[in-house]
Amino acid sequence: MAATLSLSGSPGLDPSSSSDQSVSSRSNNRSLRVAEKERKKNEAEDPFVLALKYFSDVEAGTPVHGNDEVEKNMVMVEKVAYMKGLSPEAISIMLEFAMSLRMGTTLCARVLKCLIPATVVPQEAVVRAVVWLGIGKIPISTRILFIKWVLTVFDMIDAKDQLRAIYGFIFSYVTEENLFPFICHLLYLLTRKESVRVFRVRKLLELQSRLGRQPFLLSLLSLYKVFCPELVTLSISSRIKSGFRNHNMPWKSALIAVQKRNGSQVATSISLASAIKTNPRKRKHCHLELPVLSSVVSKEAQTDPSSSRKVVPLVQLHSFAHILENMHRIELPAQMGSLLGSSLALQYLDCVQDESALLRLNFWLGHALHEEFLFCGDGGASQNSEEALQFLNTLLSTQHFLQEGFSCSEAFLYKFLSVWDGSLLRPQILGLLSNIPVVPSSQIRRLLFEPLMQLFFTSSLFFKCGLMECLNNMLLKWLTWHSVYALEDDLDISLNSHTSINMTLSRFKDSVMELVDFVGQLASLSLQLEGCHSLLLSFILDFYETVCDTFLKYGLPLVVMPTPGVFYPALFATDPVSVDRLAYIMYRYKVNLTSAKSQEKLTEVKAFHISRQTFREFNHYAVVMVNCLWNSNMFQPDMGVQLGEELLLKSNVPQYWTSFDLIHHPAFMSYAVDFHQRCWPERKDMDLNSIKHSKPWSWYLEYLFSQGYDGLKQFVQSNISRPLTAAGGHVDRQDDGHVDRQDNGHVDGQGDRQDNGQDDGLSTLQR
Amino acid sequence: MSLLKPFSKLPGLNSANILLVESKEEFQQSLADALVQETAFTVNVRLAKSLPLPMENEESRPRIDLVAFIIDLTSELSFQSTEASLKCLDPGYFLGKVCFMVTNARNAAAPIERLDAVRKLAASLHCPLLFTEDQTPDGVTNATERLLTILKVAAGLVPMATALYLSNLTRSTVSPDIDQPSFD
Repeated sequence: MAATLSLSGSPGLDPSSSSDQSVSSRSNNRSLRVAEKERKKNEAEDPFVLALKYFSDVEAGTPVHGNDEVEKNMVMVEKVAYMKGLSPEAISIMLEFAMSLRMGTTLCARVLKCLIPATVVPQEAVVRAVVWLGIGKIPISTRILFIKWVLTVFDMIDAKDQLRAIYGFIFSYVTEENLFPFICHLLYLLTRKESVRVFRVRKLLELQSRLGRQPFLLSLLSLYKVFCPELVTLSISSRIKSGFRNHNMPWKSALIAVQKRNGSQVATSISLASAIKTNPRKRKHCHLELPVLSSVVSKEAQTDPSSSRKVVPLVQLHSFAHILENMHRIELPAQMGSLLGSSLALQYLDCVQDESALLRLNFWLGHALHEEFLFCGDGGASQNSEEALQFLNTLLSTQHFLQEGFSCSEAFLYKFLSVWDGSLLRPQILGLLSNIPVVPSSQIRRLLFEPLMQLFFTSSLFFKCGLMECLNNMLLKWLTWHSVYALEDDLDISLNSHTSINMTLSRFKDSVMELVDFVGQLASLSLQLEGCHSLLLSFILDFYETVCDTFLKYGLPLVVMPTPGVFYPALFATDPVSVDRLAYIMYRYKVNLTSAKSQEKLTEVKAFHISRQTFREFNHYAVVMVNCLWNSNMFQPDMGVQLGEELLLKSNVPQYWTSFDLIHHPAFMSYAVDFHQRCWPERKDMDLNSIKHSKPWSWYLEYLFSQGYDGLKQFVQSNISRPLTAAGGHVDRQDDGHVDRQDNGHVDGQGDRQDNGQDDGLSTLQR
Repeated sequence: MSLLKPFSKLPGLNSANILLVESKEEFQQSLADALVQETAFTVNVRLAKSLPLPMENEESRPRIDLVAFIIDLTSELSFQSTEASLKCLDPGYFLGKVCFMVTNARNAAAPIERLDAVRKLAASLHCPLLFTEDQTPDGVTNATERLLTILKVAAGLVPMATALYLSNLTRSTVSPDIDQPSFD
């Protein structure tokens, strides 16, 4: 019947009321009655209501051609639909009319195209329409149109339990090849664990053998696999290129317009294009914009007491407390992408660990990323970069919130890196790159390092710095992840997390080693090519500040020394901050190594064993540094930097062995000069060597440390033992820079290997 | 047939010469305009549609330090023209003085086989393969910067680095299918 609004008040008379009240109430009631009659009359004459009445009452078999009345009513309905959308009752009527083919097949498609819901779509109408689908007289294209319509308005269907009840019925349509992709999509949205049955899986597999590995089929099968892995033995790669396309073409713009006019927000199943679209060219798939998680569905329709399960859609929950209350009956929206914008939804998702939901989210995300960035319509010319930027920023903040990345974004990044020019959306891409989980060492070179290397050496200094920072963040995240998830007391530690990467500790260490080696290689080569640019050096030292503390700060039993290509440029840098940071890094290495050594002795665990080579390297660096800065004894024959004596003499630098100590080092010379002037203001000639005497030397050191060079301070204090002597005179400043490796020399039982002099107590360096 | 030779002439002082070869002749113009803005050293840009270069300019032409081939992935002609032009280069150029620039790599219209073929070509010649976005001004600026990075080394303006050295670091590699990395 035509839609009638529910009456707000009851006009019934209450005879037992007192007389004057009854008089007034009677008159009130009478006026209400009159008003209601008026209203009914008006409604009865409302052309839209009349049109609906016509469609619900029209006889089967009424001709269409030349039938002015049906045309008039059709136009009326269309007008209302495009203006403010159809009410649920109107939708029931029109859908019933169309699908029952009472007036032939021509009108069916036209009706379907104008079925724009204003608020909700009643579930019963959809179920009845699906029943009509089975009768068999509807032409194929119209059937496809109907299924597309259902997919488009899926989120606006008020409840889904009846649809789920006829899952099997819908499933039977998979045999129709034309409908197959769309049916798969619909099944994907409706599938629950109970729906996965052996015979259904078998049917799908049989279809796959006939039709090939279609993406929609694979998506549905993976969803089945997620629910019941034992039933689906097919191996499905987790990197399926694309799931389902968006099928909302004929209705999209109309829906948006209607909903905007109604003031409510847009349904979650539609990805809308923003009204302020400056790009004149229409885009075919506007799926980049995140669908809005909103409350289109009115509250009354939801709290239907007849539905016993009473699932609460996620859209309706607005606070964390709500989520906690309704934890057991939350229903996720059909368009998983809408979750990305809402932190509440993400918290729920993270907590619940619903694999099917994550799978669906990954599919949508991967599809969106691929479509937008990898297979652009015109190579990116009309790419709306504002949109793309926002999308990626949202994705980044989501990953930041969840503290981990998505597997689809990882797959996307590997492909994108191989066609990237290095500057398109650089901050976002580098941000996403730093979020990828630990890559196994067998793959890391091929997937990550090779494309990065090709980009790195052909790009500008700023890209190099940006990439250094990105790799530093990546390492930080890997280390943090390890320290959170690693279990104690296990030799082969399985690092379990819900990113479903299981890794043993040794393989994790391999990956970290590969990363550190790679960055070391990049760093040394780029420093040489860029002439030891101080900005680049600063980012590189940032990286090594992370690396030097892997043992103490992150609990990873691994110590990797910096490469010489980084150490020496930092030591001889012309800005004091770099030298200071290097000193800090060396100090931290010493602390880590001594602590590791003592732990090894304590626990006698063979798993953590720092190689002799590492100690040797550290000792060497420490000796070089102390010799250079403190002992004024550069260019010793066993140092890293070797220059022949004759060459040095030819350079005519007086006392070349002092040229990089704390007084003459190019980075610190200005401080020395300043100090000299303050210390001896009356002196005319500058003799920097006079600072070397014991009293001025200690004052000079204090002066330097007061300028903020804490790294130097810590390095000096930990490595150089200065005997305190009250008397003046020449104090033999010996260095104690090395770490004794002697104690453990025999644990391995490798026969007697003479520890050479380097590991022993070092001979004092005389001047 | 006259080959373009890399070392037959003397270099100029504090200058670099680059030759941009593109069969479409669109991108090279905007690149050239951006390249000459460089102030640290003099950049001379020469444009060509294909090789071999005309004989008349042989004498006045300076020594070309870097030859950059621009390939548009959406056109087969571009690729074929590049392949034909490669034959007119002296083998000495393939020691780091040739690079390939590819546009429209992210275009859906570009067939994957063509990109693979370009990759194989660059890998077999040990040359770097640069991807560029030629449609946006930022993309053009970035492409210019990358070309200049290689050009500086190829012209000998970076101390302790030669073109061959850099090409070792930047050469393109052909990786197997990255669609299905299996993490077991």
